[in-house]
Amino acid sequence: MSQSTRGQRRPIPSSAFAALLYGIMFAIYLLYSPSAITLAGITDLLNNTIVLAIAAAGLTLVILTAELDLSSVGVIAVTNVIVATVSTKVPGGAFITLILVCLIGLLVGLINGWLVAFLGLQSLAATLGTMIACQGVALLILEAPGGEVAAFIMNRLTDTVFGFMPVAGLILLLAVAGWLLFRRTRLGIAIYAVGTDALAARLSGLNVKATKWLAFGLAGMAYGLAGYMLGAQTGTGDPRISNSFLLYVFAAVAIGGTPLGGGRGGVIGSVVGAGILTVMQKLLFAVGVAEFYTNIFNGVIMIVAILFGNLSAILSLRQKAIMSQHRDGQLVPN
Amino acid sequence: MNDILTRSLVSSRTFKPETLTALLVLLGAVLMMLAMKVLNPGFGSVQQIAAILTTSIFLVVAAYGQGLVILLGGIDLSIGVVMSIAGMMIAGLTNGSNEALTWALPVTLISCTAIGLLNGLGVAFLKIPPFIMTLANGTAFFGVALGITAGSSQRTVAPALQVLMSAQIGGIPVPIVLIGWFLVAGSVLQSRTTEGRKIYAIGSSLAAARVAGLPIEALTIAAYGVSGLCAAIAGLLLAGYSSSATLDMGDPFLMPTIAAVVIGGACVTGGRGLYFGTFAGAIFLSALSTIITVLSLSQGWRNIIQGGIIIIALILQTKQWYLLSIVNRQLPGKQSLDGVLPQNSEV
Repeated sequence: MSQSTRGQRRPIPSSAFAALLYGIMFAIYLLYSPSAITLAGITDLLNNTIVLAIAAAGLTLVILTAELDLSSVGVIAVTNVIVATVSTKVPGGAFITLILVCLIGLLVGLINGWLVAFLGLQSLAATLGTMIACQGVALLILEAPGGEVAAFIMNRLTDTVFGFMPVAGLILLLAVAGWLLFRRTRLGIAIYAVGTDALAARLSGLNVKATKWLAFGLAGMAYGLAGYMLGAQTGTGDPRISNSFLLYVFAAVAIGGTPLGGGRGGVIGSVVGAGILTVMQKLLFAVGVAEFYTNIFNGVIMIVAILFGNLSAILSLRQKAIMSQHRDGQLVPN
Repeated sequence: MNDILTRSLVSSRTFKPETLTALLVLLGAVLMMLAMKVLNPGFGSVQQIAAILTTSIFLVVAAYGQGLVILLGGIDLSIGVVMSIAGMMIAGLTNGSNEALTWALPVTLISCTAIGLLNGLGVAFLKIPPFIMTLANGTAFFGVALGITAGSSQRTVAPALQVLMSAQIGGIPVPIVLIGWFLVAGSVLQSRTTEGRKIYAIGSSLAAARVAGLPIEALTIAAYGVSGLCAAIAGLLLAGYSSSATLDMGDPFLMPTIAAVVIGGACVTGGRGLYFGTFAGAIFLSALSTIITVLSLSQGWRNIIQGGIIIIALILQTKQWYLLSIVNRQLPGKQSLDGVLPQNSEV
């Protein structure tokens, strides 16, 4: 079905609408806080965005396969406390912890994927279980907020390189470039195919289970990196990352134009979505609104952003919308 | 399509797989408590069992709305906030007097139902994904509540509500009686009325429901409204139980409502699930959290055990489908009409 739509007219990607919204919000933010356009201001903004952006990028892979993953906060909690406990204790701690968090994230992701793809559990519930268990592991490693992150991670990863490039921005660019390459690989195409129609994907010879398994694994690795970057931002470890962060990760993905039904959207949109949510916080803070208004604005802007994204669905082919609605009703796990 | 669906469902008198799931989950809760009794003979007194059931009422009630929304293929992430708002409203409005309860009760319930209806309007007409609509709406109303109360806790819940949660009828605590009524009323509404049946049909296949001309928008709005109402009732009872109300007291119940629905055998993408299953899931989770508290382990181990048991419960649940298929001598997945129809229509 994607071939027929592609053949007729290429719809405007919904990430373009998210990017437009981001531009508008950033412009308003600039009015209130002109220093935001300086290198320091941009570095600061990107540093605030990156944890959410990486986590949202990981979640996108899972959502594209039409599954859900709640384990991000669990993995981030574990890897964050790992960074805060291990990175100062061993020589070359920054590098060793980086490997370690990736492996931990991959492991949890592969467990999730195994439960969902091979044992046939419902992803929402299974990953809720691993999320709670991971939070437990984090509490065993570090009982209360504390620990210490290696100075190298804290200073270098939040700074700039080559005099003009914030490290956080470089990482995001690498992530986006990696995604653009990954999208063209066999696995990348399979992820879209599985999310669009699992039955058709299976009939055309794709290994649906392996695809989902690997998508969960890669997502887990992204959460691990997000936890690592969180350590770089805060300088300490906190085993109790709040569940509201989890909701923001999902909101970033949805605002970026990846519907929860799977098969459509992509990582770039989610990164922009994370940017929108971050700029929104910054903007509300810069304007100086009281905390309760912040919540109200948060809610309203989320809805507006989605409506904005829906506009793209209306502008793009109608057929596509009908197909997806049709598919939403058909999602019956095997 | 609708006609076939309704007729077959009503005429099928075979043992429903969902009922088996629910019974197994309840059995799991009992086994867990027995195992606890073996490990710790002091555990498992009548009072302790009664306490587990009493504290399960919040989840039993709130998860009903969640179950109804999930049955439609949606999800309600505003339940925690609505529970808190209901508790704060009833505490703030009654200000410790029973007389005020006569008007404060309907005002609270109607306000919270309105929050739910707003969720439904956004989902049904603006086509906003339920995940975002309910999250955003909940966040916004949390902001409103924060603005009005300035975040301070309310300590003046009407005494009648507190009495309700601690009174007994013929030796049985009132909350347990209420759970019984709620279970019957909820099951009848969900599985024995035409409106409930239509919700099953919409959740099974939106396209088919549209072709059959079902009032999709109206039922979607109604389901979210019911979810708001249930969350409000749960919040009232929670305020009565803890005799004070805070703005975050409902938060710990949000994830468990989803877990209860799924452990009870419902399908998160809609169209399958019984309230009896959700009820069993809620009892299971309440028993689990009580047992874990009794074990006096560190919070970390408690979380690991809780997460592990949720996953084990889910794995066992998938295994029982094979069990049932042997019993019914049918192919796996064929016993339930709800699961089969959309798949066939797709092929």
